[in-house]
Amino acid sequence: MTAAALEAARVWLVVALTLLGLFFSFVSMVGVLRLPDLYSRAHTASQADTLGAGFGLAAVALTVGLAGAGFKSVLLLFFIFVTNPTAAHAIARAAFEEGIVPWTNGDERR
Amino acid sequence: MADADPPPGDGASADGPVDSAETSGPSAEASDADATSGPTTSGPTTSGPTTSGPTATAGAIIVPVEPTSTLRSTIAHVAEAAANDGAPALHLVEIASWRDGDPESDERAAAAERVLERVAAWATADLDDSEAPAAADVEVVTAVIGADDYLFGADDYVRVLAEYAEENAADRVVLDPEYTPVGNTTLLQPLEFALSNTSLSVETAPVDRPTRRERFRTEATTGRFVALFGLSLAFYLLLGDPTYWFDAVTGVATAAVVSITLSRVSLDSTPAIPRTPMRIARGLVYVPVLLYEILKANLVVARVILDPRLPIEPTLNRMRVIVGSGLPLMTLANSITLTPGTLTVRARDSDLYVHSLVPWAREGLFDGSLERWTRFVYYGRRSARLPTPRERDDVAILQGDDATEELPIAAADGGAVGAGDESDGGDETDAAESIDDEVTDR
Amino acid sequence: MSLVDASLAAGYTLGDFLLVAAAGFAVLAVGMLYRAVVGPTMQDRVLAVNVLGTNTVVILAILGAALGEPTFLDIALVYALLNFLMAIAISKFTVERGGVL
Repeated sequence: MTAAALEAARVWLVVALTLLGLFFSFVSMVGVLRLPDLYSRAHTASQADTLGAGFGLAAVALTVGLAGAGFKSVLLLFFIFVTNPTAAHAIARAAFEEGIVPWTNGDERR
Repeated sequence: MADADPPPGDGASADGPVDSAETSGPSAEASDADATSGPTTSGPTTSGPTTSGPTATAGAIIVPVEPTSTLRSTIAHVAEAAANDGAPALHLVEIASWRDGDPESDERAAAAERVLERVAAWATADLDDSEAPAAADVEVVTAVIGADDYLFGADDYVRVLAEYAEENAADRVVLDPEYTPVGNTTLLQPLEFALSNTSLSVETAPVDRPTRRERFRTEATTGRFVALFGLSLAFYLLLGDPTYWFDAVTGVATAAVVSITLSRVSLDSTPAIPRTPMRIARGLVYVPVLLYEILKANLVVARVILDPRLPIEPTLNRMRVIVGSGLPLMTLANSITLTPGTLTVRARDSDLYVHSLVPWAREGLFDGSLERWTRFVYYGRRSARLPTPRERDDVAILQGDDATEELPIAAADGGAVGAGDESDGGDETDAAESIDDEVTDR
Repeated sequence: MSLVDASLAAGYTLGDFLLVAAAGFAVLAVGMLYRAVVGPTMQDRVLAVNVLGTNTVVILAILGAALGEPTFLDIALVYALLNFLMAIAISKFTVERGGVL
């Protein structure tokens, strides 16, 4: 009975994590579509999306089980948490060095 | 060619304080003129040593030369400055770190000559390209100085430089930001300080310093080799099957290849027994804290983004952080980027340029809890208790109504780089849009 | 019996749910594609493609879990590495002077 309850808890945890992942990826998409300039878009791209991917991969790890392939998804999660902000930083810095001035309130929406 | 352009932000710095050409001798023993060998000419269109120099408004400029990564842009800046100010001559000097007669001194002198020849060619080309009318009057002179003497420190270098300056009626020294005559020691700051005690005017060329290459390639040590070998073997076995003999053999081979080729590149400090495990342990404490911060702030930012009115107020900010360079700085910059509402755009020395989406994110950043945690992870609990960046007054807002500093961006058309008030907004948009067009056309 | 076969509601299993979630991530990726096409700057496109790549990694991982194909995770790992390299390389080479990283 406890084993069944444990499995049910795991199933619903996977569902919850997946939904959270979808939600944050959705926020990331809305941000990238709505925000006015590259720098603010990089915010959601690096943060909301990292969290969305993190939740999604955590759900996968929980589904597969940590013993076997699940470890790879933990590795993947860790890797995405390190590389995503680095990539966003590199892109923002490239824009900065090109001389793109960050959008401020009062500027025209682009 | 982008190379031939003067570095951004020049011209403004070209009109520094210019002292009169007749300089008093810097010190009593410095009048020993023998310590300086005469200027030697080299390069395609250089002319002889300046004997008098047309006494223009400005004196000649001296640039100490060493083969550095920023040398090219420094020369471009100096050539432009010399042309604009009507300097009679541009002296490119190499201060000898050897003494004539030493073993290998001939080779080193020859190497110095080669460097000087190349630099003189650059300077001549830059002067030819220059728009300024006085550019044609600038003489390019190269010299190796100080080879008769052993030079021990910043003071000796300054003495030699001051003598050379007096002989050639120069009153201005422009330093390459990466200039380190002796090789490994960082001598620029003591050199700048000692030069400021003479009558010469000193400036450091405002050029972009590229990433230091030295940090990427450090000496190989057993500790690094072992650490990298262990890490890559563990990674390999995690992906494979640790109990299967074939994976173990190929894992050892792969880890050996990785650690032989990359152990000089991938770790920037040798792992030490008490320090590295402590850092890892404290890092493990930091992870849940960071995750909680990310989650909490992400929810708030999600609300801002999904709000139909989109109440954002983005600004660029500058914050000077005290965490050291290398890995700690990377950890802090990545943590800032991961925390919603803040994005590290640039890290220049210990200045972080952070873009913030909403004011509360900026305030949270200036409170410095992430900086404090980074210090805790890398240096322990005691160093975590430094004042916050706000208390240290190490913060600045670069845009918007509350701006306290100018935006350090190379505006495309040299127009307003204004932070300041709303009226600057139009200019900024125009500049940004012209760049956009350029980029999309490419 | 693996966790994927656990029934969720109305005869549908967790595997079915994960497949639907992967489809949801794919729909979100299409939104990103709009930004990648429209731009307006080069960096906007790189950013959008980078986010798209992260989404692809998640889709691959979820598909791997839902279909019981653990090898998908290896592909996702390689894809994540390449995605990172792509972003770094493009931002480096679009800047003419100075370097990124």
